[in-house]
Amino acid sequence: MSKGYPIGGKTFMALKNLTISFNEGEFAGIVGPSGSGKTTLLNIIGSLDKPTQGEAIVLDQNISDLTHKKAAYLRNINIGFIFQVFNLLPVYTVYENVEFALLLQQYSGKERKKAVMEALDWVGLTSHANKKPDKLSGGESQRVAIARAMVKRPKILLADEPTANLDSENAHEILSTMKKLNKELKTTFLFSTHDEKVMGYLDRTIHLRDGNIEKDIIKKS
Amino acid sequence: MKLAFTLSIKNIFGAKLRTFLNVFVLSFSFVVIIGLKGVMDGWDDQARRDSINWQFGQGQLIHEDYDPLDSFTILDGKGLIPENISGLTPILVHQASIYPQGRMLGATIKGIDLSQKSVLLPTKALINSKYNYPVIIGKRMAESSKLSIGDEVLIRWRDKNGTYDANRITVVDIFDSNVPAIDSGQIWMSIETLWQITGLNNQASFFIADKNYKHKPINFWKFNSQEELLKPISDLVAQKNGSQSVIYFLLLTIALLAIFDTQVLSVFRRQSEIGTYIALGMTRQKVIGIFTFEGSLYSVLALILATIYGFPLLAWFADVGFAVPPADQKMGIPIADTIFPIFGLKLVFGTIFLVLFASTVVSFLPTRKISKLDPILALKGKKQ
Repeated sequence: MSKGYPIGGKTFMALKNLTISFNEGEFAGIVGPSGSGKTTLLNIIGSLDKPTQGEAIVLDQNISDLTHKKAAYLRNINIGFIFQVFNLLPVYTVYENVEFALLLQQYSGKERKKAVMEALDWVGLTSHANKKPDKLSGGESQRVAIARAMVKRPKILLADEPTANLDSENAHEILSTMKKLNKELKTTFLFSTHDEKVMGYLDRTIHLRDGNIEKDIIKKS
Repeated sequence: MKLAFTLSIKNIFGAKLRTFLNVFVLSFSFVVIIGLKGVMDGWDDQARRDSINWQFGQGQLIHEDYDPLDSFTILDGKGLIPENISGLTPILVHQASIYPQGRMLGATIKGIDLSQKSVLLPTKALINSKYNYPVIIGKRMAESSKLSIGDEVLIRWRDKNGTYDANRITVVDIFDSNVPAIDSGQIWMSIETLWQITGLNNQASFFIADKNYKHKPINFWKFNSQEELLKPISDLVAQKNGSQSVIYFLLLTIALLAIFDTQVLSVFRRQSEIGTYIALGMTRQKVIGIFTFEGSLYSVLALILATIYGFPLLAWFADVGFAVPPADQKMGIPIADTIFPIFGLKLVFGTIFLVLFASTVVSFLPTRKISKLDPILALKGKKQ
């Protein structure tokens, strides 16, 4: 697939005739410098964007054919997001931020409580359930974001530069948590990163440069 | 719904002062609109009630040549009282001049059946009077002619042949009515006395119907129902109400503008949050719904605040009433010294509906931008 953006009367190609596939349960990362197209690829997989040419098939659904509503449904049920700047809802507590994803799926109150507490337990934040995001450190905020993304047990988790705003210790802690969840829940994790620390955890590393795949390295276990 | 509600409540209460100002201005609009409209409704009700009680009764049978609003029709606008009629009080209208304290004042004499029960005029005061020509007048007439109970005054009129005649009448009672049409420039006497002094025997200009009257068409006479007679009053109140709508409109516009601005600011500032909602699987329509709901929640909070301070305030207002300045009472329309506002369910719920509807519309308008928002840029916090 290809993806172009119109800039100043010309088209900037963020992805150029790229062909790639991911397997279920992978812990893979798209790495490369800024402007290489990694976030664009992640956004297309997450149905937030569409390719301008070619096809992107996610969980047997062609992203180009999805309406806004169907794309929202796909994200709601099957895709979790983790962002560089956490994007927690500031008016909600930690508990409510995590619960939010389940409210969209209309879980019952009892089911929500069980799932939220379990998700907070995965990331070690059960004691912070009633805190507001502005009372959390960067590492804690990203752990809440992981809990929010994982609480609905999505098939795919997309993490865009998840460690960019974290110190080394917190970055390792976050990555360990995600690796653990990948093993336990068989969720496919896809990262976009240029952080060396992240790369050390990845089972597969796809190097992008100027919208093309430069290297696709699978770590031997 | 729960999601929209909790999110809206948290966002609204999180905004503290901005929320308070929006809510307070809107609640003020609620209270002022209901208060002012209550006064108008109270005036309308009082004017209609007084006009029925003092002037119109259950309707009027009027001689086809008589127009109560045209004094030139007084001379010819009369006829013999039809036979076999019941439930009607005959009134004969005649022009005259009085000379209180040497001044000449134009006046209208109205002869009325003294046993009437159609209107509240105290005609009983004229029965068995010791005076030859006893009359009753209203407080406005008494004030303008400087007459008091017991005063005698010279009156001059023309009889049926156009010949001038004069005599002295005695004021035996002064009634207090809010209806100027039966008061200003009016002198009430027995219809039989008026027949006698004018020679217009058994004639009337119009009749006031009581509850027993059943209308059948009568030649030369036309019947005006109570509603037809009250229409000019209701029209006048409606016109006043219309002119007051400018105030409601301004108040509401200020309040709604505040909500509109808040919504515009909210959609602009919270783009990252909107992007997050979309990324988490919320449809754009749902996000628009949340923001619209949040905006319209201001009017709900305003309603609660308005109830807290507006209910006792308006209840007190309904109790003490609205004092009408004396100058306004001489306008020629029925206005009491004090108008007691009426806050009916229609008024209260109508205002609530209007404000809720208007605030929902202005809350929705800025959120339409969300449907065109690029979620990727929104997630990055880039303003669009």
